[in-house]
Amino acid sequence: MSEDNNELLPDLDLRLTESNPDDLYDRAPCGYCSCLPDGTLVRLNQTLLGWLGYRREELVARRCLQELFTIGGQLHYETHGAPLLLLQDQVRELSYSLRCKDGRMRPVLLNAVLVRTAEGQPLVIQATLFDITERRKYEQELLRTKQLAEEQREQLARANEQLVSKNEQLTRINADLDSFVYTASHDLKQPIDNMAGLFEELKSAATFHDPQAAPMLTMFEGALRQILSTIQGLTEVVQQQRALEQLPAEEVALQSFTEDIIRGLQPMYAPYATPFVLDFGAVPTLRMARSSLHSMLYNLLSNALKYAMPGRAPHIRVSTEAAGDRVVLVVQDNGRGIDLTRHSKELFQLFRRFHPDVEGSGMGLYLVNRLVHQVGGQVEVDSTVDQGTTFRIYLPR
Amino acid sequence: MHVVERHNVTVSGAGSQAMVFVHGFGCDQRMWRQVAPAFEADYRVVLLDLVGAGHSDLTAYDPARYSTLQAHVEDMLEVLQALDLHDAVFVGHSVSAMIGVLAALREPARIARLVLVAPSPRFINDADYTGGFEPADIEELLEAMDNNYLGWSGAMAPVIMGHPDRPALTQELEASFCSTDPAIARHFARVTFLADNRADLPRLHTPALILQCAQDALAPVAVGRYVHRQLPNSQLVVLDTSGHCPHLSAPEATIAAIRQFMTVVRMPGV
Repeated sequence: MSEDNNELLPDLDLRLTESNPDDLYDRAPCGYCSCLPDGTLVRLNQTLLGWLGYRREELVARRCLQELFTIGGQLHYETHGAPLLLLQDQVRELSYSLRCKDGRMRPVLLNAVLVRTAEGQPLVIQATLFDITERRKYEQELLRTKQLAEEQREQLARANEQLVSKNEQLTRINADLDSFVYTASHDLKQPIDNMAGLFEELKSAATFHDPQAAPMLTMFEGALRQILSTIQGLTEVVQQQRALEQLPAEEVALQSFTEDIIRGLQPMYAPYATPFVLDFGAVPTLRMARSSLHSMLYNLLSNALKYAMPGRAPHIRVSTEAAGDRVVLVVQDNGRGIDLTRHSKELFQLFRRFHPDVEGSGMGLYLVNRLVHQVGGQVEVDSTVDQGTTFRIYLPR
Repeated sequence: MHVVERHNVTVSGAGSQAMVFVHGFGCDQRMWRQVAPAFEADYRVVLLDLVGAGHSDLTAYDPARYSTLQAHVEDMLEVLQALDLHDAVFVGHSVSAMIGVLAALREPARIARLVLVAPSPRFINDADYTGGFEPADIEELLEAMDNNYLGWSGAMAPVIMGHPDRPALTQELEASFCSTDPAIARHFARVTFLADNRADLPRLHTPALILQCAQDALAPVAVGRYVHRQLPNSQLVVLDTSGHCPHLSAPEATIAAIRQFMTVVRMPGV
């Protein structure tokens, strides 16, 4: 092995290998000191003396190592450092600050070993001190940042608490509102039913002489029907909401499910043969609570019939498409269409209606939108006035 | 958790009378290892960790409850009750010397004698009283603790996570000797160094031995003398050693002084 090394050696300056160990002790890039077991300084190197600014004779046999620390450091040393040193004969990386003669502080890390006599009695402490001025700055910065992070975490926790309580409040208000709507519609239904019955009685029993009476009776009847349908719609909205909170989602086969709904709609398209074309080839089933799916499809399909273009045979295509992790249910009609540039924002609002000449409660699309959102989906509408409307319902698989 | 486990209580030795050794701030029951075994031949030796130190149940440290020494006093009495100890010798170091005084005042029948190792009833100077420190010094200690915990946090993790029985962790545990959760240590430092129990001293009549180190920066001789003057039934022994832990720096002298105290039936002058 020596031959290889010999060839390298001429490149080194041999004077480096002859440096004096005493010189190394005195001028090492760290502080060295030896102390009696009580900390009394007996020997210090030049580096340490230079840091402290004291002359050797001011310290040796006169001062203890721990007295050079801040009072807080001294407290730490007496309660932690010294006991540890006596218990395990060494301490490592204790962080203190040296108080120099001119009052300046020098942050240091202390490593020390306790040397014992052959009988096991403490004899001398050998200590090494490393200057960590820059490192201490980083540590202070770390401590500050940590404190800041903790404060911010507390603020965040407080904000979150407020949010949770606001959310609870909103949920409560929402439930109260549903409850109110349900009660109101229920309480209104009975007197309106009575009014309708009384009106029938009145029509058959009373005789009107005013020529305007007949159209007025028709208008009154229309208004009664309207109010009954509104109340019916309100009740449905609330019932759907309640049902949603309880009913489990299930895999529903779309073909037979939709055909059942269409059979129920038959009176609405009676003069024509079925205007519906179904194509569920791409995605034949949907995962949803049956009643929600029924309500959604019923409203979309009956709307398509209701708002058919007068004088034009309705043509309605119902289909599914796969779109990544979602399913799209498409309902496309050739009806009157909606002016989306004017009405797009109000489309799904409760009681909002766009074709006053057609009977309706203004609740269908509101309900559809609500049901779709509840299962985590969304509704897209595309429409051209006088040409038709396409609803695209995006649902999670 | 049972009080015995909560305090990591270990019992050894034989004898009708018990000696209970309680460590002070900064360490745990292991700091008695050069003193406690000497009494095992004649006494039931009880060692324990204060809640928040050593292998005690750290989760039991509720800062609100432990904001005064009283909670520790209640803990000590609970241990004595659980072990059914009466007329015990309570050996308390530093802050635990005061915990012992308060416990003996609360239930005198449980503690027959007190050994107060480097006691100080108040560390902060006051009018006509020299405790040795100013409030600013205590803040500086907390700062020094913060600086040191930066380096400790890694080594401390096993202790905090509470796996004291896993052999694989022995090495880390050795490295974390006398260290505990930084937040608890910080809190306990404040409670220790801001306590003032001077008014309790004259009420105590339990025989007490004050073990005073000749050079102690934390509890100077003047404080030891003060405690001696205030405790009606006390004896002061100044040990020729320096530092705050005579049981570590002068274990033989500490053992001898305690033995001497135990053999004296009545205090002189009582």
